[in-house]
Amino acid sequence: MSVPTKILHQFFFPSLTLGFLIRTGTVALSAYLFFGYMCIPFWVRGASMEPTYMDGQFNFCWRGWYFFSEPKRYDVVTVRFAGTKVMLLKRVVALEGEQVEFRNGKLFVDGGELEEPYIRFPGNWNLPVRQVARGCVYVVGDHRGMPMETHYFGQASKGRIMGGPVW
Amino acid sequence: MVKGRLILSSFIVIAGLSAVVHLYPSEEKKIKKQFSLLAKWISVEQNENVFTIAYKMKSLGDLFTDKVNLKIPDYNLSGGYSRSDIISYTGRARLPFSQFTLQFYDFQIAFPDSETARVTVTGRITGKWLQGEGLEETRELEWILKKVGKEWLFREMEVAEVLKK
Repeated sequence: MSVPTKILHQFFFPSLTLGFLIRTGTVALSAYLFFGYMCIPFWVRGASMEPTYMDGQFNFCWRGWYFFSEPKRYDVVTVRFAGTKVMLLKRVVALEGEQVEFRNGKLFVDGGELEEPYIRFPGNWNLPVRQVARGCVYVVGDHRGMPMETHYFGQASKGRIMGGPVW
Repeated sequence: MVKGRLILSSFIVIAGLSAVVHLYPSEEKKIKKQFSLLAKWISVEQNENVFTIAYKMKSLGDLFTDKVNLKIPDYNLSGGYSRSDIISYTGRARLPFSQFTLQFYDFQIAFPDSETARVTVTGRITGKWLQGEGLEETRELEWILKKVGKEWLFREMEVAEVLKK
């Protein structure tokens, strides 16, 4: 057997040595831990974050964003339900203690209109003033053109924020 | 020869363990099975006939205790319901759909006592109205199941408030 053929054969049909099994196990375990808990792959489903994130796009949720810091206004975050298999992708628009209100589609925080350059589909939402509770942030999707009743938004506990998209 | 015997005995051990796991499922597995049946009986497939619907609704009723407590504010469902209430409500709720599926993810199962299970789970519904529009909703659900005989039956369900408008 020539050298290149031997290398190819060894690559596709490796000898099951202890070293090989340990290397394979380490790579598999590292990949499981990294992509299962630290950098979770996900597909965007639905239009609530359009046009920033389009339906069908692929991304990763990086858990490390909020290990040493708190979510800030304008951050796009993932909010978990019972676990991380299905999560919400939303934008933080108000922080704890702030007052939030929608008037004719404009978002007001503590009485002042919030600049939202990412909005491409404005709507005419109206929502009376409410205060964001302690330990929570207020999250909304970027697509305000859809009816308010069908858009899932509101205040979320910080404990439910799992991280944010990598890009 | 020794290698062959080693592989064969490993295969026998793995097959034996799989058989034990399959034949004597854990309580968690039994509970997950109930959820998969719930999803199966609630689902709406295209061109279902009357007999299929009747069978599904009867089977659905068998998954619940005689009295069920529900707290689903979005759909104005709160309070105690009988098994027949659940069947008739579900039957009516399925009518406007040409397709409907329910899926569960991320089970967290706890046993406060040997006959009660508390399950927190993500429920996701996807469907298509008869008019053709799509429906997609995800919620966190908190269920209480009661063990009656050898079966786990649904007794309580509450929709958790993940985002509060």
